[in-house]
Amino acid sequence: MDTLNTLLLGFISIVLINNLVLTKFLGICPFLGVSGRIDMAFGMGMAVTFVVTLSGILTWMIDHFLLMPFGLEVMRYVCFILVIAGAVQLVEMYVRKFFPPLYESFGIFLPLITTNCAILGLCLFINLWEINSLLEASVLSFGAGVGFTMAICIMAGIRENLNLVDVPQCFRGAPITLITAGLLTMAFMGFSGMIK
Amino acid sequence: MVLASVAELINSVWPAGVMMLGLGGLFALILLVASEKLKVEVDAKVEAIQGCLPGVDCGACGFAGCGAYAKAVAADPELIGKCAPGGSATAEKIAEILSLSVGGGSAPLRPVIHCNADISNRTYYAEYEGIESCTAANALTNVQACKFGCVGYGDCVSACKFDAIHIVNGLAVVDYDKCTGCTACAKACPKGIIEMVPFSEDAMTVVACHSQETGRMTRQMCKVGCIGCGLCKKNSDIFEVNNNLATINYTNYKVDEGVETATKKCPTKVIIMAGKTSS
Repeated sequence: MDTLNTLLLGFISIVLINNLVLTKFLGICPFLGVSGRIDMAFGMGMAVTFVVTLSGILTWMIDHFLLMPFGLEVMRYVCFILVIAGAVQLVEMYVRKFFPPLYESFGIFLPLITTNCAILGLCLFINLWEINSLLEASVLSFGAGVGFTMAICIMAGIRENLNLVDVPQCFRGAPITLITAGLLTMAFMGFSGMIK
Repeated sequence: MVLASVAELINSVWPAGVMMLGLGGLFALILLVASEKLKVEVDAKVEAIQGCLPGVDCGACGFAGCGAYAKAVAADPELIGKCAPGGSATAEKIAEILSLSVGGGSAPLRPVIHCNADISNRTYYAEYEGIESCTAANALTNVQACKFGCVGYGDCVSACKFDAIHIVNGLAVVDYDKCTGCTACAKACPKGIIEMVPFSEDAMTVVACHSQETGRMTRQMCKVGCIGCGLCKKNSDIFEVNNNLATINYTNYKVDEGVETATKKCPTKVIIMAGKTSS
């Protein structure tokens, strides 16, 4: 029961309170770049969720079973990036094989998941927060992906409606998007302190 | 001393190296298996066609880019020859890949600027100080006296992906050595003075004016405008004069003595040669 409680709290915390995009400001590039249409945003969210879950679990295992026993903590960044790059390659092949239209619409953003700092950030956070069970790490990684998907989908929904709005000339395009992102972030700041 | 520290360094570094090597090898193996299992069957023809396209994604063919055109042409061979930058050479290559033969092939299209008036030849009623774009300047009809001529703010220049058109003294000039005939400039010109002409020779005779004003009006506004006198028509039958403007019928274009006399006799010297200057 205690474990379940921790997992649930961890999941809610990473999705809402410590949302990587909206409170840690990680992964802003795809957050702004692929949030033009809601279906694409959801696809991107799914891809990121897959990569972040896979790489979160793998990096936790590498960290605990390989790096720490040999005292190679200094290698964390390099190994983590290696894992993420590998996972992204895997996702790219998979998407290309089974969802060609999605593959075309992602364009450069799919390989760019490699450099999505939300993913490396999450892997390093798991280490920073001293998560000691694999189960918790995997739940957190999955939660981070869900949080990213949620954030990017909310953003895409807003931006789809924003197209129909009479925005002042000087705010059109990137400026209004950034302002919207800022407002969204402030709204999510309201969750902080919900779980003590 | 130095040797000892190097040995120490190597001693402390080797686990890291081995670790990276091991991890890298493991991932390489996984990706190798995955790339075999998840291989996408790309049509060999499409890839081959894409290989012989210019790859500039100019969009002259009407598709989003060279990749999209390659796919379309592989599915529908009738689309061969839509690639303007590649020209007939590319069409032949594509035909070879699709094991078809291309017959003849028409002359490549090249843009012709139907205006020959640089700044010194034109008359202005006012000074234009708006946005530096032909489309914007075109909206103010009474700045430049000639309603038909080149505005000279270079919408065609920014449309050109090949650096093949420039504004010289307020007049668009095509660099025929660089031009691929992609029609981007013709589409960009708000005055519609850029016409795509089949260049059966390196340099073609063209009427460098588009003014349909009466001869008297044209003379008042421009030093080098076509006044529609019809002298050229009397000398050669490739010329036609409609609405006070001489045009050339390129379907039966040929250079003979009549054309040369017409060029010489033209009172405003509006019949000129356009094309590659080097040859």
